[in-house]
Amino acid sequence: MGRPLIHRSPIPGLGVSAGITLTMLSLVVLLPIGALLLKGASAGLDVLWHEVNTRRVWGALFLSFRLSFYAALFNLVFGVALAWILVRYRFPGRRLIDAAVDLPFALPTAVAGIALTALYAPNGAFGALAKDLGFKIAYTPLGIFIALVFVGLPFVTRTVQPVIEEIDREVEEASATLGASRAHTICRVILPMLAPAALTGFALSLARAVGEYGSVIFIAGNLPMKTEIAPLLIVIKLEEFNYDGATAIGLAMLVISFALLFVINAVQVWSRRRIGYV
Amino acid sequence: MSDIPLRSYRPVTTEAPLFRTALIVVVLGILAVLLFAPLITVFYEALRKGALEALTSLANPEALSAIKLTLLVAALAVPLNAVFGIAAAWFITKYDFRGKAFLITLIDLPFSVSPVVAGLCIVLTFGANTAFGGWLVGMGYPIVFALPGIVLASLFVTFPFVARELIPVMIEQGRAEEEAALTLGASGWRVFLTVTLPNIRWALLYGVLLANARAMGEFGAVAVVSGKIRGVTATMPITIEMMYNEYLSVAAFSLAGVLALLALVTLALKTALEIAHADALAANHRH
Repeated sequence: MGRPLIHRSPIPGLGVSAGITLTMLSLVVLLPIGALLLKGASAGLDVLWHEVNTRRVWGALFLSFRLSFYAALFNLVFGVALAWILVRYRFPGRRLIDAAVDLPFALPTAVAGIALTALYAPNGAFGALAKDLGFKIAYTPLGIFIALVFVGLPFVTRTVQPVIEEIDREVEEASATLGASRAHTICRVILPMLAPAALTGFALSLARAVGEYGSVIFIAGNLPMKTEIAPLLIVIKLEEFNYDGATAIGLAMLVISFALLFVINAVQVWSRRRIGYV
Repeated sequence: MSDIPLRSYRPVTTEAPLFRTALIVVVLGILAVLLFAPLITVFYEALRKGALEALTSLANPEALSAIKLTLLVAALAVPLNAVFGIAAAWFITKYDFRGKAFLITLIDLPFSVSPVVAGLCIVLTFGANTAFGGWLVGMGYPIVFALPGIVLASLFVTFPFVARELIPVMIEQGRAEEEAALTLGASGWRVFLTVTLPNIRWALLYGVLLANARAMGEFGAVAVVSGKIRGVTATMPITIEMMYNEYLSVAAFSLAGVLALLALVTLALKTALEIAHADALAANHRH
């Protein structure tokens, strides 16, 4: 324990930078999250459990996590494919597509929400097509799935892209020289190298989807037990001034978010040890 | 003897041409449906009844006050975020201390908290029904359902943006240049302004761009803390929701179009930075 808390440094500004950092972190992030934990503690586990343990809340939590998982899974496969063609293939408009991948990060969620709804509602371009084929997209879980895919689209691509750029072609050549088919090389050599980054992207996409609100509420239809997501239920509880109810659902989501964060960190540590990058 | 039959071999490090074409077509097709179609829809719906109708709807008082409020929120939240980002990056990269990894995790925390939960946290801290919030309301400084709450919510959701861009760049640049300047007798501020800042300015701009786009477009957290009071606490995204729910389609999509343009400008500037100043950005933004 001989290590000092902070090493002496000739560079000035320690007081100012540490002061600003810790004050703002406390005021903006830690104090509000602490208030949620405190509110939960003062309500007590019985009250929290009573608020969460209703069919409507379980329905919303289950719906949120189930659809977020599917959307993240779709983004995992699609994101790797997109990253692959952006790095390895040459086609017209590649640079433009590369820049456009970040659109879901830049486009406000409410804008995405009303645009997706206009497009996939029964009177929209794609919605009408689906109607002719006999199914509905907007106001069903399928609509929520599409909105969640939209908001999580860039994560896997952006985590996997730099790893593909770093792959040494000689490894692939060696695999081919040893008689592996291209498909074999991709499955047994390339995909394992991409796995840690892809998993990180998957977890980020999942975390984002679980908490997503703006792009989902327009397209969801918001029917309790059918298309009502957990974040919306928090808003509804707050509008009813049911602070215990909102706190209970908020805490449930926070715990699950932290678990995801922990998994992301664990995957990164594991991959650093195994492979030495990411 | 030397007559080797001329035959073009496909390099072993790529896939069959047919496979490549098929993959490109499928991926771009999905992108068109999921990414580009919604973007086009925004402008199509806004201009459905003509450009004049769209512009008129932007000039109505409700839309104008929303635009003003959103600009004001960004003008307050983004500089605060930049100050925090610079201070945090300086603190983390210029000194060695225990718990550094934990501090970085805490700074990243807002990324993994749902915006709605962030809003809930702010309501539970500063709401009129809490001891602290009630006291502030009594003093005449309400936070929730007022401007400070919206700024706080925007700060929360954009919190890691600038710091995350600066930390990797400043780690890479090390401390030698600053230490040299100090040895030559420069003051701390002079070192920061003339040595550090020129090195990090593009990364700083990059982070500020992203933070600004997010602050102007934030919906979930602001929806919870703003109270959605027309003409007072309704930001652009909130006003878009209200107009959309009132079936004012052209008005909602016109305002959405303004934000979509902002998103496109952000992407364009971001890409330009990635191309022109690749060596001054964090490694994962270089192309």
